[in-house]
Amino acid sequence: MDVIANQLFAGLSMASIMLMIALGLAIIYGAMGVINLAHGEFVMLGAYATWALQTYAGLGILPALPLVFVAVGAVGWVIEKVVVQNLYHRPLDTILATWGIGIILQQAVRLGVGAESRFVKGPELLSGNTEIGPLIMSNYRLFVIFFSIAVLWGSWLLMTRTEFGMKLRAIIQNRSISECYGIESKRVYSITFAYGAGLAGIAGALITPLFSTIPTMGTGLVVDAFLVVIVGGLGSLIGAATASVLIGEATALFSMIMNDTLGRIAVLAGIILLIRFRPRGLFPTETRR
Amino acid sequence: MTSRFHYDLVALVIFTVVIVFGVPALMNYDGFELNTFARYLALAIVSMALALSWGTAGLLNLGQAATFGMGSYAMAMHLKLRASNGLPDFMGWNNVPELPLIWMPFESLAFTLLAGLLIPAFVGGLIAIFMFRARIAGVFVAIITLAFLVAFQLLVIDQQGLTGGQNGLTGLAQLSLPGWTVDPYSMGFYYLVAGCLAVALAVGVYLTHSKFGLVLRAIREDADRTRFFGYNVATYQTAVFCISAALAGWAGMLYTMVLEFASPTYMGVSFSLAIVIWCAVGGRESVIAAAFGAIIVNMLEGRLSDVFVEGWHLMLGVIFVLVVMFMPRGIYGLLSELAAKLRRAGRQGNAASIDPSSKTQLETGQEQ
Repeated sequence: MDVIANQLFAGLSMASIMLMIALGLAIIYGAMGVINLAHGEFVMLGAYATWALQTYAGLGILPALPLVFVAVGAVGWVIEKVVVQNLYHRPLDTILATWGIGIILQQAVRLGVGAESRFVKGPELLSGNTEIGPLIMSNYRLFVIFFSIAVLWGSWLLMTRTEFGMKLRAIIQNRSISECYGIESKRVYSITFAYGAGLAGIAGALITPLFSTIPTMGTGLVVDAFLVVIVGGLGSLIGAATASVLIGEATALFSMIMNDTLGRIAVLAGIILLIRFRPRGLFPTETRR
Repeated sequence: MTSRFHYDLVALVIFTVVIVFGVPALMNYDGFELNTFARYLALAIVSMALALSWGTAGLLNLGQAATFGMGSYAMAMHLKLRASNGLPDFMGWNNVPELPLIWMPFESLAFTLLAGLLIPAFVGGLIAIFMFRARIAGVFVAIITLAFLVAFQLLVIDQQGLTGGQNGLTGLAQLSLPGWTVDPYSMGFYYLVAGCLAVALAVGVYLTHSKFGLVLRAIREDADRTRFFGYNVATYQTAVFCISAALAGWAGMLYTMVLEFASPTYMGVSFSLAIVIWCAVGGRESVIAAAFGAIIVNMLEGRLSDVFVEGWHLMLGVIFVLVVMFMPRGIYGLLSELAAKLRRAGRQGNAASIDPSSKTQLETGQEQ
């Protein structure tokens, strides 16, 4: 029983990390249909930015978060302006272009900072564990879980309760009519892309104490995050959250029954089946395209 | 249609002559250089295989590396058995007591060659039936094949006793055909690979210009309309997936012979996306252009990594982004636009030089 409870917590922790990464991807994919394979590299940039801030400026992870959000968001904004904006009418080509951008970012970091793994200290405040009976939970992981829920809530508010969100939803529904009403869709797209990239940056900052920070860390993450987005349903925030919890818990439980690798294979097989029978995901949004 | 067929035939002949006669002469018949180039040619086969499914039928298969890996492991299993007396060495390290059942038939060369083509085709066919019966299309094809690739690579790495795990299969023998031991640094081997590529391209050109290819292009443009015409779209899509997978397996077998080992990195996400890059750079609409793209990008990689030891990967990324943005149809698109422009210019030149009465005749001639 203890083992299962601890495994469930590990799954939840994994889910919270995946949710943080997938959220930005879901917003970008849902809003503009762009499959951003450079998203993993945004996570990597966030991790390196945190490392740099801690090493050179002595900033902890938590105070670094807003800076990382702005920095990675700015990188995303530039990439959207220079590359992605020219490819909106060719969605399959965005896969290729963003993969190329991913290579560029990865190699730029490798050349600039080096290929060796970097370490970032977790915040002192959150060291230690919380124990409830036999269940042992790392405080930092608990914090990441709550933080990811907060970010999810914040993004939902942004999408549904602000003027910006309304414009974005209008564009998703019908781009040309929205433009007739005076919404600058290009500007909204740029900001949305930057916001998604910034979220990835925050995710990167938060996972630094849990993962080793290396230039190639994004490649594996982006595949997982992308599966979360597809399973959740096109651009649905609630879908992304549900899917990340499902996939995180399923991975944790299968890993306990079999071994880590076979568990992951089983989850991938499950995802393939799900896409086959529900290609629009668990929570498809009703839009006219 | 027929004129395009003629262009493709001419391109095929030129391409074959260059790789069979031109390249060895350029390389001074040097064994090492030719081995490197044979590697590019093997990769050209897998790139043209992707062009068949992606360029012709519009199915972006991000899992092409999985079928490539199956072929390469089939060949490696045969060569490993030839190299070892009894049990292969890595099985001993993994406490495998006796030769597993699925390794046994790979003693036979004929079985290996068939398996290297048919197993990928079979697996590709299963995935295709699974997807296309449900009318999965577009991005979802890419995602399902990508997920399959990741799962398959994990499985291969996990089954250490059967596959050598992370190390792959090393210490392979040289392939011995009846009366010929294939040395990967010999002229004979180069001609074998070049010949295989030429045959694969001939098959590809034939398929794209046959009625089969026409239906596939129709499906790419509008699957529903093709369905309304009474074609079974899923069957056509499955067929092209099988053929593409078999060709990828064939390329994998050759690749193992070139490098003399098989590694799970052949089934990696990066490798699979690299295949897509080659195909896109060359031009996905033509199998010959896709093969050319694989050769050009890999040659460039070889040259750049010699000159810029550190930064070549970065340059490759930049080149690729530029290609996607400004040459969406690849080198092939660039050339065909140029050809169209020249033809138009030539026509205008002719029209200006002849008198108005025959000009109307010329224009009606164009309509036909």
